[in-house]
Amino acid sequence: MVGSGGDKRPFYFGIGVVLVAGIAGLSYMSTRKQADTIIQLDSTVAHVPNQGHVIGSDSARTEVVEYADFECPGCGSFATLTEPDVRTRLVNTGLIRFRFVDFPLSMHRNTLNAHLAAWCAGEQGKFWEMHDIIFENQDRWNGEATSNPDAALGELASHVGVNMPQYRSCVSARKYVGQIQANVDAGNRAMIQSTPTLIIGNKQVKGAIPYDEFKRQVDDVLAHQTAKPAAVPAGTKQATKASSAKTKTK
Amino acid sequence: MTRRMLTAFIALVGLFIALYLTLYKVGVIGTLACGTGSCETVQLSRWATFLGLPVAAWGAGFYVIVFALAFAGVQDRFADSRTRALATVVVTGWGVLFTAWLTYLELFVIHAVCRWCVVSGTLTVALFALSLFDWRQTKQQSVESRPA
Repeated sequence: MVGSGGDKRPFYFGIGVVLVAGIAGLSYMSTRKQADTIIQLDSTVAHVPNQGHVIGSDSARTEVVEYADFECPGCGSFATLTEPDVRTRLVNTGLIRFRFVDFPLSMHRNTLNAHLAAWCAGEQGKFWEMHDIIFENQDRWNGEATSNPDAALGELASHVGVNMPQYRSCVSARKYVGQIQANVDAGNRAMIQSTPTLIIGNKQVKGAIPYDEFKRQVDDVLAHQTAKPAAVPAGTKQATKASSAKTKTK
Repeated sequence: MTRRMLTAFIALVGLFIALYLTLYKVGVIGTLACGTGSCETVQLSRWATFLGLPVAAWGAGFYVIVFALAFAGVQDRFADSRTRALATVVVTGWGVLFTAWLTYLELFVIHAVCRWCVVSGTLTVALFALSLFDWRQTKQQSVESRPA
């Protein structure tokens, strides 16, 4: 026989050791706190109430909140693979309202530029268009692709059709850094540890979950509630309202 | 330690690397330990997804299959199986071809190299070499043990 014979116990023991070490390592990495990696913004900026960007109807049966970082690949996967279905099947049909809340992490060098760019496009009513194009083009502006993200983000902003002088002025003034900080604070209070994190009902769902899992979680919430609209999280205002389900899906 | 045992160990190590990259890709792990490499550039590129799944997830599936084949080869029941040995060669050979394609993309299309991908590629080549030796030996023993 070629591969057998002899005492196999050391082999099984070795396999067991590698299995335990591997599982322990992955568990540690996926559960460790990332509070120390949360981006530090200018502490002199005046406090403002946290705001998210909302898509969907005010009368939707429940609201799903996403804490996301524009430079995080998981958030990119969620935005490009899951979100189109979420908007078409759940937001447009009035089942849910979807709120995007900034949670930029310091490990991502260019993420704050992207969040500011999205807010500045949002000032002109183009937040979701900018949100989509930023995620679709992460590899063009992320911290490993360029040290000048504003140039790449500016091209994307131009592509979605914002007024460029107004956009540039907004970005260079870092006009919405206070709102972003407020959203980070809200995320810290909500014990957000990684991105993307979704708040669906009273559950914190981590990771770029596929549509079927997202729908299952929403169904679970809807099954346990009466047919009244969900309350907006305390201290949260809507920065972008869509009275009817407004969707931009590429 | 036999070649098959070594194959099983290498496949298991590769599996955990692939799982690590998959968990990062889907957002469960926030930080990728990459040193001065360009792991994020590679992971964020459009080539990091294949047929709707992260490439790393396909890698995890590959390592699971190789581990299962090697583990079976350690058992007396499959010790002399030429089919098992050939299947290992085919699977790891496919892995080498896929790795070569990914390496080409990293070097000439994405222009960034992910250290974890290099480690995984090295493991895949080692698995292929081990499986080739194992297949040859199994074939040889099968001929020798055939009645004259």
